[in-house]
Amino acid sequence: MKIAIEELAGCSGCTIAVLDLHEMLLDVVDKADIVYSPVIMDVKEPPEGIDIAFVTGAVRNAENQERLEKIRRRAKTLVALGTCACYGGVSGLSMLHSNDEIFSYVYREVETVKPDGVIPTDVPPFLYRAFAVGDLTKIDYYITGCPPKEIYLKQIIPALVSGDKLNLSRKSVCADCDRKMGTVENWTLKRRYEGVPDREHCLLGQGYLCLGSVTFGRCGAACPKNNVPCHGCNGPSLDILREPCRDIYGMMVRRISDLTDKPEKEVEKELYDIAHTMYPFTIGSLIMEDKEVSKIRDLVKERSR
Amino acid sequence: MKEVTINPVTRIEGHADVRIYLNDRGEVDSAHFQVVELRGFEKFLSGAAIEEAPRITPRICGICPTSHHLAAAKATDQIFGVEPPATAKKLRELLNIGQYIHSHSLHFFMLAAPDFILGHDCPPETRNVIGLARHSPDLAKKAIAVRKFGQRLTEAIGGKPIHPSNALPGGMSAPLTAAKRAELATMADEALRIALEGWDIARTLLDGVDTEFGAVRTGFMGMTNHGVYSTYDGPVAVLNGEGGRIGSFTGTDYTKFIEEYSEDWSYLKFVRLKGGENYRVGPLARLNVVEKMGTEHADAALAEYRERFGTVSQAALAYNLARYVEFIASCERAVKLLSDSGITGTDVRTPAVEVVNRRGVGIIEAPRGTLIHDYTVNDAGIIERCNLIVATCQNNYAIDRGVEDVARRVVKNGALSNGAANQIEMVIRAYDPCISCATHAIGRMPMKIELVRKA
Repeated sequence: MKIAIEELAGCSGCTIAVLDLHEMLLDVVDKADIVYSPVIMDVKEPPEGIDIAFVTGAVRNAENQERLEKIRRRAKTLVALGTCACYGGVSGLSMLHSNDEIFSYVYREVETVKPDGVIPTDVPPFLYRAFAVGDLTKIDYYITGCPPKEIYLKQIIPALVSGDKLNLSRKSVCADCDRKMGTVENWTLKRRYEGVPDREHCLLGQGYLCLGSVTFGRCGAACPKNNVPCHGCNGPSLDILREPCRDIYGMMVRRISDLTDKPEKEVEKELYDIAHTMYPFTIGSLIMEDKEVSKIRDLVKERSR
Repeated sequence: MKEVTINPVTRIEGHADVRIYLNDRGEVDSAHFQVVELRGFEKFLSGAAIEEAPRITPRICGICPTSHHLAAAKATDQIFGVEPPATAKKLRELLNIGQYIHSHSLHFFMLAAPDFILGHDCPPETRNVIGLARHSPDLAKKAIAVRKFGQRLTEAIGGKPIHPSNALPGGMSAPLTAAKRAELATMADEALRIALEGWDIARTLLDGVDTEFGAVRTGFMGMTNHGVYSTYDGPVAVLNGEGGRIGSFTGTDYTKFIEEYSEDWSYLKFVRLKGGENYRVGPLARLNVVEKMGTEHADAALAEYRERFGTVSQAALAYNLARYVEFIASCERAVKLLSDSGITGTDVRTPAVEVVNRRGVGIIEAPRGTLIHDYTVNDAGIIERCNLIVATCQNNYAIDRGVEDVARRVVKNGALSNGAANQIEMVIRAYDPCISCATHAIGRMPMKIELVRKA
C-alpha cells in the first residue's frame, strides 16, 4: 500500500492534520508506506503506482494544475483532502481583485514598500481563476474541513488503507451543536464584535451570522461550542451541494427570514461583507459559482489579466 | 545555457526553488533562494469586516495559524479600544505557547533532526521523520507525544488545534475549565520531562558541524520584556550587525525601523532596516536580544548555548539549538501558566462597542520570528488597508546569501551531489522558513535546486 500527499495552493494545515493522527500515525506507516509528501519528506516527485493519494489545496496557477494531473495519473484513488481541495478555500478570495491589483498592492502600495517597487516577472503566472480540484479532474473521495478534524481522520484514513466502508454523519454543523433555539424577538443582525453572545441559545437566533445550518458537519460544532459563530469552513451542507437551486447565501436569507418573520428582502438589507462572511471557503469553487442563485458571480471582479 | 534541475526537496513549510548560476569553469557565479508564488491576503482582506481578520488570517499557514490569529486579534483590540482582561491575556499567551511547542517540536524532531541524526548523506527516501521513527522509535514516540500536547493545548484554548478561532476583539470567546486545566497540567509536566531529556540530544547536534556554513552578518530583531524572553507582549528590540542595540518599537513605529523591497526573480519580499542594513528574526534573533529566558531550565540551556555561540551569534545553524532552548522555555512556561489557578477565571472578554481607532497594529513573536499585522479600517470597521510583515520575509536576505555561501562550498566542477544539495537545504531549513506565511502564498512551491550553466 503506497500513500502520497500532494500540496497545491494551501497552507499545509491538512498535512499537519494528518500528522495530528499522533501515535496512530505509527500504525498507519506500519501498514502503508508514505512514498511522497513534500512537507515531511525529501522524495522529489510522486512515484508511479500510488494506491491512495491525498491532494490538499486549491488550483491557482499552471503548476498546481500540472501537479494535480500528474498525481491523478499516478494514483489509483485520489482523495480531495480539506476544504481548499474540495471548494477552493480562502485562496478563492483572491478573485475579489484582479491579478494586477494584487501585485500592485503587495509590491508598490503597502506602507513599507516604495511606489517604484519591483513587481516580479521571472516567476510563474497565475491562472485566470482559482479552482477546486474536482472542477478539473476526477476525484474519488472528498474529505472537507479546514482542516479535517482528528476524530474523523482517525476513522477515515485507516478505513481507506484497509479498504473498509464507513458510515459517517452527513448532517450539518447544527446537528452537533448543543444550543437551544429559544424565542427570537426583535431580531437585528449583529456584527461579530458586538456584545457577548449567551452560551445557551442559538447564535443565529441571537443575531449573529452563524453558518451552522448551511455548513457540512463533522467538526463537532467546535466554534459554536466555544461561543464563536460558524464560519462555514467545512463547506456547504449536503442539501446545498446537491440541489442546484440552493446556495449558501439564499439558504441563509431564507433561514433568517423563517426564524424572524422578517421578509427576505429586509433580511438581505442587513447583511454585510458577503464575500468574507458567507463565501470565504467556497468562492473558488465552480460548482458553487455555477448555481443559478449564487452570489459569487457578483463578487468576483476579474478573472484574467 | 545548460540547465540542470535537481528536483523538489522539502521539509520546509511551503515550497521554494534554489537556482545556482555557474560560470564557464563550472564554479558558482551566484545563487538565489527563489519563491515562485503569491497569495495576496494583504489585498483580498480589504473590504472585510475587521473582526473577520482573526479567523481568516490563520489560513495563511497551517503550521503557525495561532500567530496570525493572535496578531490579528491584538490589532482588533486596538481598533475597538478594548483591553482584554488579565485572564484572557494569560490564555492568549498560553495559546501562543501551544503553537511554539507544536511548531518547534515539529521542526526540531521531524524536519531538522533527520539530517543530523540520520546524516545528510542518508538516502532521501528514509531521511525523514518516518525513517527517524524506524531508526530511533523511542525518540519518535516522544516527539509525537510532546507535539500532541502542543496541539491539545491549542485546541483547549483556541477551540481547534489547527486554525484556532477563540481570540476576538477584547479577549477570548470561552474560558478554560478547571477539568481541562488539570488534564493539560499533567500533559505539560510530561512535555517538560521529554524536552529536558531531548536536550541531551539537542546539545550535541552541532558537535563537529561547521557552523560557519551559510554564514551571513546581519542585525537582529526580537521581542523582549525588560530583557526577559517574551513572545506575546512587549517592545521589539533591534540590534545592528555588531550586536549593539539601536532602538526598540511598538505599534505603528515599526514603519520607522524597517522597509520592504522586492526582486524580479522571487514573489517573496525582502525586509531590511531603514538605512539598508539587513537583519534576521526568529529563535537566533530572540536569544540574541534577551538577557535571560526567565525560566530555570531554559536559562541553564541558554548559558550552555552562549558558552559555545556567544551572547550575540551570527551562525545560521545555531538557529536549531536556539529553537530548542525556546522549546524548553515554552514547556516550562506552559507548566507555570497551567499551575496558576487564575487561568480558569471566567472574565475573559471585554465587550467591544464601536471603532475607536482607525488603525491597529498587532505584533507578536511567531515561532519563526516577529510577526506584524497592520490594519486600517473605516468608521464602520471595514478594512481599507492591510500590511503583513512575516518572519520569512525578514529572513529572506540571510537565507538567500546563506544559499550562495553553501553553494560555493559544495558545488564541485559544476556538479551537485545529492548530499551536497541537502547541505544547501540544511541551511535553508535552519531558518524553518514558512513560505505560505511569507508570500501568503497561492499554490505550490517545490523547493527545487536548479543549476544554470552560463553560456
